[in-house]
Amino acid sequence: MKPQIRSYFVALPALMLALSAHAHSPDKHMKEAQASAPDCSMMEDMDHSKMNMDDPLTQAMMKKCMKAMRQNEGDSHDDKTAATKLSRHQH
Amino acid sequence: MAFFKILSCFKCLVAAASVAVVTGVGFLFSGFYPMGADDHHNDLTYWALETLRERSIARASSDIQVPTDLASAERLLAGGADYNDMCVGCHLKPGVTQSDFTLGLYPQPPDLTQTENHQEDVSVRARKHFWIIKHGIKASGMPAWGAGHDDERIWNMVAFLQRLPELSSPQYQILSVRDVGDSGHH
Repeated sequence: MKPQIRSYFVALPALMLALSAHAHSPDKHMKEAQASAPDCSMMEDMDHSKMNMDDPLTQAMMKKCMKAMRQNEGDSHDDKTAATKLSRHQH
Repeated sequence: MAFFKILSCFKCLVAAASVAVVTGVGFLFSGFYPMGADDHHNDLTYWALETLRERSIARASSDIQVPTDLASAERLLAGGADYNDMCVGCHLKPGVTQSDFTLGLYPQPPDLTQTENHQEDVSVRARKHFWIIKHGIKASGMPAWGAGHDDERIWNMVAFLQRLPELSSPQYQILSVRDVGDSGHH
Protein backbone atom coordinates (compact mmCIF):
# COMPACT_ATOMS: atom_id res chain seq x y z
CA MET A 1 0.00 0.00 0.00
CA LYS A 2 1.31 3.45 -0.91
CA PRO A 3 2.22 5.71 2.03
CA GLN A 4 -0.16 8.39 0.71
CA ILE A 5 -3.13 6.00 0.70
CA ARG A 6 -2.13 4.72 4.14
CA SER A 7 -2.11 8.28 5.45
CA TYR A 8 -5.70 8.73 4.22
CA PHE A 9 -6.72 5.70 6.28
CA VAL A 10 -5.25 7.37 9.37
CA ALA A 11 -6.30 10.95 8.66
CA LEU A 12 -9.93 10.25 7.77
CA PRO A 13 -10.91 8.49 11.03
CA ALA A 14 -8.97 11.12 13.00
CA LEU A 15 -10.89 13.89 11.24
CA MET A 16 -14.22 12.15 11.90
CA LEU A 17 -13.31 11.74 15.58
CA ALA A 18 -12.43 15.41 15.87
CA LEU A 19 -15.69 16.47 14.21
CA SER A 20 -17.74 14.21 16.44
CA ALA A 21 -16.08 15.72 19.52
CA HIS A 22 -17.07 19.19 18.36
CA ALA A 23 -20.62 18.01 17.75
CA HIS A 24 -21.09 17.48 21.49
CA SER A 25 -19.71 20.82 22.65
CA PRO A 26 -22.09 23.20 24.42
CA ASP A 27 -21.44 25.80 21.72
CA LYS A 28 -22.82 23.40 19.16
CA HIS A 29 -25.90 22.84 21.28
CA MET A 30 -26.29 26.58 21.64
CA LYS A 31 -26.25 27.03 17.88
CA GLU A 32 -28.72 24.21 17.43
CA ALA A 33 -31.07 25.59 20.05
CA GLN A 34 -33.57 28.10 18.83
CA ALA A 35 -32.38 31.55 19.70
CA SER A 36 -34.91 32.96 22.10
CA ALA A 37 -35.07 34.93 25.31
CA PRO A 38 -36.72 33.89 28.56
CA ASP A 39 -40.31 35.08 28.78
CA CYS A 40 -40.22 36.72 32.19
CA SER A 41 -43.64 38.37 32.03
CA MET A 42 -44.88 35.74 34.49
CA MET A 43 -42.28 36.88 37.03
CA GLU A 44 -43.24 40.54 36.60
CA ASP A 45 -46.90 39.75 37.27
CA MET A 46 -46.16 37.78 40.42
CA ASP A 47 -46.36 39.19 43.94
CA HIS A 48 -42.67 39.05 44.92
CA SER A 49 -43.46 39.25 48.62
CA LYS A 50 -45.21 35.88 48.34
CA MET A 51 -42.32 34.22 46.53
CA ASN A 52 -40.07 31.88 48.51
CA MET A 53 -36.64 33.34 47.89
CA ASP A 54 -34.95 30.41 49.64
CA ASP A 55 -36.21 28.03 46.97
CA PRO A 56 -33.46 27.34 44.38
CA LEU A 57 -36.15 27.23 41.68
CA THR A 58 -37.23 30.80 42.46
CA GLN A 59 -33.60 31.88 42.71
CA ALA A 60 -32.83 30.30 39.34
CA MET A 61 -35.74 32.03 37.63
CA MET A 62 -34.86 35.35 39.22
CA LYS A 63 -31.23 35.02 38.08
CA LYS A 64 -32.29 34.14 34.56
CA CYS A 65 -34.72 37.02 34.27
CA MET A 66 -32.33 39.54 35.85
CA LYS A 67 -29.64 38.47 33.41
CA ALA A 68 -32.01 38.77 30.46
CA MET A 69 -33.14 42.19 31.68
CA ARG A 70 -29.53 43.38 31.98
CA GLN A 71 -28.79 42.07 28.49
CA ASN A 72 -31.84 43.87 27.09
CA GLU A 73 -30.77 47.10 28.79
CA GLY A 74 -27.27 46.63 27.42
CA ASP A 75 -28.60 45.97 23.92
CA SER A 76 -30.87 49.02 24.00
CA HIS A 77 -27.94 51.10 25.31
CA ASP A 78 -25.77 49.79 22.47
CA ASP A 79 -28.54 50.57 19.98
CA LYS A 80 -28.82 54.13 21.31
CA THR A 81 -25.06 54.59 21.13
CA ALA A 82 -25.00 53.26 17.59
CA ALA A 83 -27.91 55.52 16.61
CA THR A 84 -26.15 58.55 18.11
CA LYS A 85 -22.94 57.72 16.25
CA LEU A 86 -24.91 57.24 13.03
CA SER A 87 -26.73 60.59 13.39
CA ARG A 88 -23.40 62.36 14.11
CA HIS A 89 -21.88 60.70 11.04
CA GLN A 90 -24.81 61.85 8.88
CA HIS A 91 -24.43 65.45 10.14
CA MET B 1 -28.89 -50.04 40.50
CA ALA B 2 -29.51 -46.56 41.89
CA PHE B 3 -26.36 -45.35 40.10
CA PHE B 4 -27.79 -46.47 36.72
CA LYS B 5 -31.05 -44.69 37.49
CA ILE B 6 -29.19 -41.46 38.24
CA LEU B 7 -27.10 -41.88 35.08
CA SER B 8 -30.25 -42.44 33.05
CA CYS B 9 -31.85 -39.31 34.56
CA PHE B 10 -28.69 -37.32 33.82
CA LYS B 11 -28.80 -38.48 30.18
CA CYS B 12 -32.43 -37.37 29.99
CA LEU B 13 -31.49 -33.92 31.30
CA VAL B 14 -28.62 -33.60 28.84
CA ALA B 15 -30.91 -34.69 25.99
CA ALA B 16 -33.61 -32.17 27.06
CA ALA B 17 -31.06 -29.37 27.35
CA SER B 18 -29.66 -30.24 23.91
CA VAL B 19 -33.11 -30.17 22.35
CA ALA B 20 -33.80 -26.80 24.04
CA VAL B 21 -30.52 -25.31 22.77
CA VAL B 22 -31.04 -26.60 19.22
CA THR B 23 -34.64 -25.33 19.21
CA GLY B 24 -33.53 -21.96 20.58
CA VAL B 25 -30.75 -21.54 18.02
CA GLY B 26 -33.12 -22.70 15.28
CA PHE B 27 -35.65 -20.03 16.32
CA LEU B 28 -32.87 -17.43 16.44
CA PHE B 29 -31.90 -18.10 12.84
CA SER B 30 -35.45 -18.66 11.58
CA GLY B 31 -36.26 -14.93 11.48
CA PHE B 32 -39.72 -15.54 12.92
CA TYR B 33 -39.23 -13.24 15.92
CA PRO B 34 -41.04 -9.92 15.27
CA MET B 35 -38.53 -7.07 15.72
CA GLY B 36 -40.84 -4.15 14.84
CA ALA B 37 -41.17 -1.53 17.56
CA ASP B 38 -44.91 -1.46 16.86
CA ASP B 39 -45.22 -5.18 17.64
CA HIS B 40 -45.08 -5.15 21.44
CA HIS B 41 -43.64 -7.83 23.74
CA ASN B 42 -46.00 -10.12 25.60
CA ASP B 43 -46.45 -9.34 29.30
CA LEU B 44 -43.98 -11.97 30.47
CA THR B 45 -41.16 -10.80 28.15
CA TYR B 46 -41.83 -7.18 29.06
CA TRP B 47 -41.74 -7.96 32.77
CA ALA B 48 -38.50 -9.95 32.38
CA LEU B 49 -36.76 -7.20 30.40
CA GLU B 50 -38.03 -4.45 32.71
CA THR B 51 -36.88 -6.34 35.80
CA LEU B 52 -33.50 -7.00 34.20
CA ARG B 53 -33.13 -3.30 33.39
CA GLU B 54 -34.27 -1.98 36.76
CA ARG B 55 -32.18 -4.41 38.81
CA SER B 56 -29.10 -3.75 36.65
CA ILE B 57 -29.42 0.04 36.97
CA ALA B 58 -30.07 -0.16 40.72
CA ARG B 59 -26.96 -2.30 41.25
CA ALA B 60 -24.70 -0.28 38.95
CA SER B 61 -25.73 3.09 40.40
CA SER B 62 -25.63 2.12 44.07
CA ASP B 63 -22.08 3.41 44.71
CA ILE B 64 -22.42 6.77 42.96
CA GLN B 65 -21.81 9.83 45.17
CA VAL B 66 -24.49 12.51 44.81
CA PRO B 67 -23.07 16.10 44.91
CA THR B 68 -24.13 18.05 48.00
CA ASP B 69 -25.13 21.09 45.92
CA LEU B 70 -27.43 19.16 43.62
CA ALA B 71 -30.42 21.36 44.47
CA SER B 72 -28.61 24.64 43.72
CA ALA B 73 -30.01 27.33 41.43
CA GLU B 74 -26.85 27.25 39.29
CA ARG B 75 -27.27 23.56 38.52
CA LEU B 76 -30.95 24.06 37.71
CA LEU B 77 -30.12 26.78 35.22
CA ALA B 78 -27.31 24.84 33.58
CA GLY B 79 -29.32 21.62 33.43
CA GLY B 80 -32.47 23.21 32.02
CA ALA B 81 -30.87 24.30 28.77
CA ASP B 82 -29.24 20.90 28.24
CA TYR B 83 -32.50 19.08 28.97
CA ASN B 84 -34.24 21.22 26.40
CA ASP B 85 -31.55 20.51 23.80
CA MET B 86 -31.06 16.80 24.40
CA CYS B 87 -34.01 15.21 26.19
CA VAL B 88 -37.25 17.02 25.49
CA GLY B 89 -38.01 15.18 22.22
CA CYS B 90 -38.43 11.88 24.04
CA HIS B 91 -39.14 12.86 27.66
CA LEU B 92 -41.41 15.85 26.99
CA LYS B 93 -41.86 19.20 28.73
CA PRO B 94 -44.70 20.84 30.67
CA GLY B 95 -47.75 21.32 28.47
CA VAL B 96 -46.69 18.66 25.95
CA THR B 97 -48.17 15.19 26.30
CA GLN B 98 -46.71 13.37 23.31
CA SER B 99 -44.20 13.56 20.46
CA ASP B 100 -43.25 11.41 17.49
CA PHE B 101 -40.66 9.72 19.70
CA THR B 102 -43.07 8.90 22.53
CA LEU B 103 -45.52 7.51 20.00
CA GLY B 104 -42.97 5.50 18.04
CA LEU B 105 -40.32 4.30 20.46
CA TYR B 106 -40.71 0.97 22.22
CA PRO B 107 -40.37 0.74 25.13
CA GLN B 108 -41.99 4.16 25.38
CA PRO B 109 -39.63 6.73 26.97
CA PRO B 110 -40.83 7.85 30.41
CA ASP B 111 -42.61 11.20 30.62
CA LEU B 112 -40.26 13.00 33.01
CA THR B 113 -42.69 15.85 33.57
CA GLN B 114 -44.75 13.43 35.64
CA THR B 115 -43.87 12.66 39.24
CA GLU B 116 -42.08 9.35 39.52
CA ASN B 117 -42.19 6.72 42.24
CA HIS B 118 -42.83 8.66 45.47
CA GLN B 119 -41.59 5.83 47.66
CA GLU B 120 -38.11 5.89 46.16
CA ASP B 121 -35.51 7.89 48.06
CA VAL B 122 -34.54 11.17 46.33
CA SER B 123 -30.82 10.36 46.34
CA VAL B 124 -31.46 6.85 44.98
CA ARG B 125 -33.46 8.35 42.13
CA ALA B 126 -30.73 10.95 41.50
CA ARG B 127 -28.08 8.21 41.28
CA LYS B 128 -30.22 6.23 38.84
CA HIS B 129 -30.87 9.28 36.68
CA PHE B 130 -27.17 10.07 36.61
CA TRP B 131 -26.24 6.53 35.64
CA ILE B 132 -28.90 6.33 32.92
CA ILE B 133 -27.93 9.67 31.37
CA LYS B 134 -24.24 8.81 31.47
CA HIS B 135 -24.40 5.21 30.28
CA GLY B 136 -27.67 5.01 28.33
CA ILE B 137 -29.80 1.88 28.06
CA LYS B 138 -29.24 -0.87 25.51
CA ALA B 139 -31.87 -1.35 22.77
CA SER B 140 -34.13 1.37 24.14
CA GLY B 141 -33.16 4.48 22.19
CA MET B 142 -31.56 6.03 25.30
CA PRO B 143 -28.02 7.12 24.31
CA ALA B 144 -24.98 7.20 26.59
CA TRP B 145 -24.48 10.96 26.96
CA GLY B 146 -21.34 10.35 28.99
CA ALA B 147 -19.45 9.84 25.74
CA GLY B 148 -19.52 13.56 25.02
CA HIS B 149 -20.55 15.21 28.30
CA ASP B 150 -18.65 15.36 31.58
CA ASP B 151 -20.08 14.31 34.97
CA GLU B 152 -20.75 17.85 36.16
CA ARG B 153 -22.90 18.55 33.16
CA ILE B 154 -24.83 15.32 33.67
CA TRP B 155 -25.41 16.16 37.35
CA ASN B 156 -26.86 19.50 36.23
CA MET B 157 -29.40 17.64 34.15
CA VAL B 158 -30.18 15.39 37.14
CA ALA B 159 -30.74 18.52 39.24
CA PHE B 160 -33.17 19.84 36.65
CA LEU B 161 -35.01 16.50 36.46
CA GLN B 162 -35.67 16.65 40.20
CA ARG B 163 -37.70 19.85 39.82
CA LEU B 164 -39.15 19.23 36.34
CA PRO B 165 -42.46 17.61 37.46
CA GLU B 166 -43.43 20.73 39.42
CA LEU B 167 -42.66 23.23 36.64
CA SER B 168 -45.35 25.08 34.71
CA SER B 169 -44.86 25.86 31.01
CA PRO B 170 -43.74 29.48 31.67
CA GLN B 171 -41.31 28.34 34.38
CA TYR B 172 -39.89 25.71 32.04
CA GLN B 173 -39.47 28.28 29.29
CA ILE B 174 -37.50 30.61 31.58
CA LEU B 175 -35.21 27.87 32.89
CA SER B 176 -34.57 26.09 29.61
CA VAL B 177 -33.58 28.98 27.36
CA ARG B 178 -29.85 28.93 26.76
CA ASP B 179 -28.18 32.26 27.36
CA VAL B 180 -26.49 33.94 24.43
CA GLY B 181 -22.77 33.39 24.88
CA ASP B 182 -23.33 30.66 27.49
CA SER B 183 -20.90 27.87 26.76
CA GLY B 184 -22.45 25.46 29.25
CA HIS B 185 -21.17 24.30 32.63
CA HIS B 186 -17.92 22.37 32.28
